[in-house]
Amino acid sequence: MASIKRSLESDPFAANIASKVYVRSTKSGKVQKIVREVYLRQDIPCSSKLCRACLKTAPKDAAGRPIPFVLSDRPAGTSQFPQGHYLVPDTNAFLNAMDLFEQSSAFYDVVVLQIVLEELRNRSLPLYNRLVGLTKSEDKRFYVFFNEFRLETYIARDDGETVNDRNDRAVRKATKWYGEHLARSQPKGQAPAVVMLSNDRDNLRKAKLDGIPAFSLVEYVKQLKDGESLLDMIPESEDGELSKDKRLGEPIYPEYFTVSKMMTGVKAGLLHQGIFSVSPYNYLEGSIRVPAFPKALVILGRENINRAVDGDVVVVEVLPKDQWKEPSTQVIEEDNITKNENPDAEAGDDFVAGKERKALQEEVKRTHSKTTEGHAQPTAKVVGVIKRNWRQYVGHIDQSSVSQSAQQGRKQESVFVIPMDKKIPKIRLRTRQVGELVGKRILVTIDSWDRGSRHPTGHFVRSLGELETKAAETEALLLEYDVQYRPFPKTVLDCLPKEGHDWKVPESTDDPGWRDREDLRNLLICSIDPIGCQDIDDALHARPLPNGNIEVGVHIADVSHFVKPSNAMDAEASIRATTVYLVDKRIDMLPMLLGTDLCSLKPYVERYAFSVIWEMNPNADIVNARFTKSVIKSREAFSYEQAQLRVNDASQQDELTRSIRTLLALSKKLKHKRMDAGALSLSSPEVKVQMESETSDPIDVKIKELLDTMSLVEEFMLLANTSVAAKIYDAFPQTAILRRHAAPPKTNFDELSNQLRVKKGVELSVESSRALADSLDACVDPKEPFFNTLIRIMATRCMMSAEYFCSGTQSYPEFRHYGLASEIYTHFTSPIRRYADLVAHRQLAAAIEYEIVDPSVRSRGRLEAVCKNINVRHRNAQLAGRASIAYYVGQALRGKATEEDGFVMKIFSNGFVVLVPRFGIEGLIRLRDLADPEPVATYDAETYTLTTTGSREITVELFQKVRVKVTDQKDETTGKRGVKMELVRA
Amino acid sequence: MSSTQHVLLSPAELAYLHASLSLTPPIRPDGRSPSQFRPLVAETGILPGTNGSARICFADGTEAIVGVKAEVERTRLAHDFDHNTFAAGSRLEGDFVEGSYAADAQVDAENVNEEQRVGDDDWVELTVEIPGYRDDDPGTVFLARMLGEALLADGEFARKLWINRRFHWKLFLDVILISPPLSYPLPLLSLTTHLALLSTRLPRLKSEGDEDPFFDDDWAAAPFIYSRNSSNSSSSSSSTTKDGKTSTTSRPPISLLVMAVGNNIIFDPSKEELAVADVALAVSVGEAPSAAAARGKDAMDVDTTTQDGLQRNLQILSVRTIDPPSRLTPPGVPNATNSAYGAAAVVASAQKQPEARAAESEAVEGVWKAPRGGARARVMAALVLEVLGRGGVADEVMDALDGVDLV
Repeated sequence: MASIKRSLESDPFAANIASKVYVRSTKSGKVQKIVREVYLRQDIPCSSKLCRACLKTAPKDAAGRPIPFVLSDRPAGTSQFPQGHYLVPDTNAFLNAMDLFEQSSAFYDVVVLQIVLEELRNRSLPLYNRLVGLTKSEDKRFYVFFNEFRLETYIARDDGETVNDRNDRAVRKATKWYGEHLARSQPKGQAPAVVMLSNDRDNLRKAKLDGIPAFSLVEYVKQLKDGESLLDMIPESEDGELSKDKRLGEPIYPEYFTVSKMMTGVKAGLLHQGIFSVSPYNYLEGSIRVPAFPKALVILGRENINRAVDGDVVVVEVLPKDQWKEPSTQVIEEDNITKNENPDAEAGDDFVAGKERKALQEEVKRTHSKTTEGHAQPTAKVVGVIKRNWRQYVGHIDQSSVSQSAQQGRKQESVFVIPMDKKIPKIRLRTRQVGELVGKRILVTIDSWDRGSRHPTGHFVRSLGELETKAAETEALLLEYDVQYRPFPKTVLDCLPKEGHDWKVPESTDDPGWRDREDLRNLLICSIDPIGCQDIDDALHARPLPNGNIEVGVHIADVSHFVKPSNAMDAEASIRATTVYLVDKRIDMLPMLLGTDLCSLKPYVERYAFSVIWEMNPNADIVNARFTKSVIKSREAFSYEQAQLRVNDASQQDELTRSIRTLLALSKKLKHKRMDAGALSLSSPEVKVQMESETSDPIDVKIKELLDTMSLVEEFMLLANTSVAAKIYDAFPQTAILRRHAAPPKTNFDELSNQLRVKKGVELSVESSRALADSLDACVDPKEPFFNTLIRIMATRCMMSAEYFCSGTQSYPEFRHYGLASEIYTHFTSPIRRYADLVAHRQLAAAIEYEIVDPSVRSRGRLEAVCKNINVRHRNAQLAGRASIAYYVGQALRGKATEEDGFVMKIFSNGFVVLVPRFGIEGLIRLRDLADPEPVATYDAETYTLTTTGSREITVELFQKVRVKVTDQKDETTGKRGVKMELVRA
Repeated sequence: MSSTQHVLLSPAELAYLHASLSLTPPIRPDGRSPSQFRPLVAETGILPGTNGSARICFADGTEAIVGVKAEVERTRLAHDFDHNTFAAGSRLEGDFVEGSYAADAQVDAENVNEEQRVGDDDWVELTVEIPGYRDDDPGTVFLARMLGEALLADGEFARKLWINRRFHWKLFLDVILISPPLSYPLPLLSLTTHLALLSTRLPRLKSEGDEDPFFDDDWAAAPFIYSRNSSNSSSSSSSTTKDGKTSTTSRPPISLLVMAVGNNIIFDPSKEELAVADVALAVSVGEAPSAAAARGKDAMDVDTTTQDGLQRNLQILSVRTIDPPSRLTPPGVPNATNSAYGAAAVVASAQKQPEARAAESEAVEGVWKAPRGGARARVMAALVLEVLGRGGVADEVMDALDGVDLV
C-alpha cells in the first residue's frame, strides 16, 4: 500500500495566510481549540516620517487624508547612534520598567510591536493601560506596529519552539525589518538605527548574532545624557542573576496554590476568594470579606498573610478551630517593630522576626486566658493571589535603613521605603541616589515579592519634593488617592464654547438654545452657598400662589447643555467623576470656564438651568412637581452666614428675604417629616482650616458651625433629588442612575452596642433606621454634650457607604437610602462637581422629552461601569479631602502646644485612641508614652478598662473624657510629622 | 447501508471472475496479488478546528474525512463508586467535589496509579454519515458499531481519555464518506479514523490530582492521544527502548475487509471481486500491549535483534462476517436445465419433482451460483496467519500509514 500526502505548500495563497492556534478554556469549563486565520498584508506602514515607500499605501481616514505618521524624522541620538534611533522594546522591557518609558527626558520614538502589546496585556493589565496611554500621547511618539499582520515581519512558530521564544524571535525579526526598511529609503549611514531593548539575555545574544543593534535597559540608559538618574527606575530583577545568589535563604513564606487548585477549592466552597484588607492599627492583622460568611475572616501574622498586600484579590483557607483567635487588642506598627531591620541582609533579621513572634505569642496567651470561648473569631490564611492590585505608592526612605557611606557615594544600595499608607508594608528599594532621596516624598512601585524575601522589592519612580513642602504633600495626597490632577488636555478644552467667558444666553428667544426652555428670568431666585463658592450649582425661589399654596423652585446649573455625551470632555469628566476639594486646592471635574463661569449660577446674569418646580401646601406636602429646562437670572448669591443674618434681621422685609423665610419654614417641616420617617442624622468630625490670606499657610482650625440656612439648602436639594429619582426611574426602569444606601448588617453594630451597654447601660436598637435614630437620640450624657456626637461618629463608621447604581441591577426594595430614609434617591443637584448628576440630568432631559435619549445613558453595561468608577472616585475624593485637612491641622499646630479635651474612642491593651473634637483629629496614646519606664497595664476587655500600675497609675475607660496636650512632632526615624498627644490627666 | 451493491455483471461474468479468483494463485481483475492493496491518498490535519482529522481517498474514487472533537465532561459519580472507595460513601448523591477535595483527598489523588485510570465506553461517540442514507439506516449503524467496537475493544482507548477522577474527555468522532458509496466503505472509514486518531491531540493538563482540570493554552504543547515514540519505524533501537517503557498501545486499531473465494484469501477487494465472494469478513486488528514489556528484559533483547528492531505485537480484536453482495446475484442456468437448449420438459418435470430441484442446486462447473454458508475453519486459520504474521498484511498497512505525516 502506498500513500501520498498532498502538501499544503502547493496552495498558491499559502504565503499570505497564516493561522493562529490556541486552546481556550471557558468559564463554564469547556476547553476549545481555537483557530484564527491571519491574513498577512503589506500595506501596514512603518509610520516613520522618513519613509517614502509606506506613504503610498498608508491607510486613509474617512475624508481620504492619510493618517499622519508618528515617528519623528529627526529622532534623538545617543552616544552610540549619533544619527538618531528608534526603539523597539520587548515585553520584558515594558514589564520591568514602564516608568522609564513615561519619562519626559528620554524614550521618544518607540515602536510598540503588536506582539509585545498583546503579551503585555496578558501579563499585566495596568501596565498595558499605561502603555496604551503612552501610544495616545502625541509628544511621546509611540507607534503600535502590527507586526503579526505584516507579511515581512510575520513568523510562524517552529517545531518545539516555546511561545516566548517565538515572540522574542518575532521582535528580532521586526527590529531587523525596520532597520532594513528605513535604510532602503535613506542615504547610507543616515538612516536612524533601530534598537531593540530587552532584558532577556538570550534574546540579546541572539540579536547580536543576527547583527541587530540590541541593548539591555541598563546598557541603553547609560548611553543617555542623564542616564545615571534613570538607572534607579530599572528594577532589581534586571540584575537578577547577581541578586539571586544572595537570597538563596530559606523561603520565608509558604508557596501559593496552583490556579486550578484554588479555583476547584473556591468552587467547592472550601477556599474563599475576596479582597484582602489590612487593619489600619495592626499591620500584621488583615481581614477579608467573603460571600460565604456574614462576618469578615481574620488573617493574623506574616506567614498567614503570605505576601498579600492591601487591595489584592486573594484566596484564603479557613484555619482549624484551635487556631482561631480574637482580633488583636494591641497596636502594632511596622515602624516600631521592624525599626532595626537591615534591608541588605535577609538572613540577619532573626531578631526582628523574633520580636514579631513575641507579639503574636502575647495574643495567644491572652486568648487562652479568656474564659469566654465564644469570642474567638475564625481565622484564615492566604493560599494564593488571584490578582495583584499593586499601584504606585507614595512614601519616604527610612532614614535608619540608610548606611552612612551611602549618603555620598553613588553605589547602589538597598533601603526601605515606608509608604504613606500604613496598610502597605515596607518596600525594599535599590537605588544609587540615596543621598538625594533621603528626606523627600518619593513615588515607588512594587515589582515582586518572592518567597525568600521578607519585604516586597520595588523600584523608584520619581521624587515629589522635600517632605512637608506643600507641593510635595499635596501631590502625594493626590497620587495616593488616585486623583487625576493633570491639566485638561487640549482635546477636552476644544469642546468648550468658542466664545469663552463672553458666552451669554442668546438674547433672541428664537435661538435654538431657547428651544423648550421656560423663561424664569422674572422670578426672584437666589443662591446660598459657603463663603467664596465659585461653582454655584443650585439656586432657589419660593413664591405664594393665589390658591394659598406655595411654588418652590430648585434651579440647577444646566451642565448637560455644555457637556454633550461621548465627547472628549464627557469622557474626561466620567473618568474624574467628581471634583476633589482639598484645603488649599480644588481639582475640578470640568474645566474652569464651565465650572466657575458658564454653568455656575452667578448672580445678576442670565444662565441656563434645569429647574424642579413644586407646588406645596403650607404643610410642605407636595401638590405637584414638574421639571423643565429654563433660563434664570439669580438676584443674589448669599453665603450661609449672610442669608442667616438676613433672615434673622426683622427689619428686612423685602420680597427676596421673605421668600427665604418661606423656604426656611418649609424646610423645617420637610426635615421634621424626614426625621419622622427614620432619617439618621449622622456625624463626622468636621473642621475647617483657616488660612492666612496671603501665604495661605494654615493658622487656625475651626469646627464647622451649623446654620439653619445650611439645612434649608440641604432639605430642598434632598427633595429635588428624590423627585428626580422617581421621575427617571419611571422613565427608565432599567437604566436610571440612582443612589442607594444599604442597611448595615446588624453585626456591624455588635461592638458598639456592646460597648454602650457595658459602659453606659444604653441599648442600641438597630432593627431599622428609625429605631437606630431613636436610640441614638437617647444616647445622651447630661454632663457631656459632645457624647452624643461621639456616638454618632462611631455609629457612622459602622454604616455601609452609599453607592451609585443602575436601577436594573437591583430590585426596588434595595433602592432604599437607609440614612435618608428615602425609598428612592439620586444625585441631581451638583452637576458641576459630580458626574452622576450629569448623567441624571441627561436622563431627566430625556424623560421630559426635551431631547432624545443618548445611547450612553441608556446602555446598562456602560452605566454600570460609570457607576463603578464614580463610586471609587467619590470615596477617594472624600479620603483625599480628609487627609488634606489632617495634614493642614498638623501644620496649623506646628510649634504650638495646646491642652484640649478629648474622648477615648478605642482601647487596646497597650494604648488607646483619643478623639479631640476641637481639631477633629484622632491620636493614639501608647502606654510607653505615658511614663518611662512603661507602666504595667492590665486590660479588661469585658469592661473596656485599661488600668496601669507602676510608674504611672491611671485608669482609662472607653468614652471617658480626658485632657490631652496636643503638640506636633516629627519622628526623626520616619521623617513623618504627626500630631502627638500626651495624656495630661485621665 | 448494506454491502450489497448492485453489480452489473451477468451470471457468466460472475462465474468467470469466481473461477479466476479461485485459482492458485488467484488472478485478480486488476492484476494485484491477493494481499496487495490499491494505492490511496491520505493526509491529516485537514480540519484546523478539530482536535484531529484525516482524509483518505481510495483509488476507486471513494473518499472519506474524519474529524475528532474533544470536550471536557464531568465523570458520573456512579462510576467513581464502582471503582473507587466506599470511604466517600456518605456523599451518595452529592457531587464528587464535596468529598474528594480537601487535604485528605489530595493525598489520595497522588496515589492514583495506572489501575485507577479507568475508561468508559460512553466517553466515545462515533457517528458515520454515508451520502444518500439515513443516519438510522441499519447499514450505517452497523458500520458505526463495528468501527467503535474495535476502538473500544481492549479498554485502552477510553483510558486515554481519563483526566482525573472527576473529569474525562468526551471524544466525538465524525466519520463522513464524501463520495457516493461505490464499494463497501468499511476499510476506508476505518483507515481514515485510524489516521485521524493518530493525529488527535488533547490540550496539555496543567492541574494536578482531582482539581478542576486546567489546561495549557498553547496548542503546540498539546500531546498526541497516541504517543508518537514508537510510531516511526525508521528510528530503530532508541524507539524500542522507549517502547519497553510504555505499556499501552500506541496506535488505534484498523478494520480490514477480507474476502475468501474458495481457499483463497483476498485483501482489499474491489467492488467486482466482492460480488463473487464466498465470504466477506471485517477483521479488526489492534496492537496489543507490548509483549516484550510483559515478558521482561531478556526477552526484549531477543526482539531487538530481530528484523529492523521493531516488533509489533498485533492481535485480532474482532471478526465480523458481512453479508456479501454475491448472495443476491442472480444464478446462472446450466445448459442442462436451460429451455433455450431444448430442456423445457426438464424444467416442467423438475417443478413437479422435488428431487429435480435438488439436482438444480448442484454446483455445475462454469455456471454461477450464489454462495451459501459461512467461512470455513481452514479459511479462518489462514486468514489469521496472513493478517498477523510477521510482515503480514496488518504490518504492511500500518507501515504504510506511518508514512503519512501527521500535522
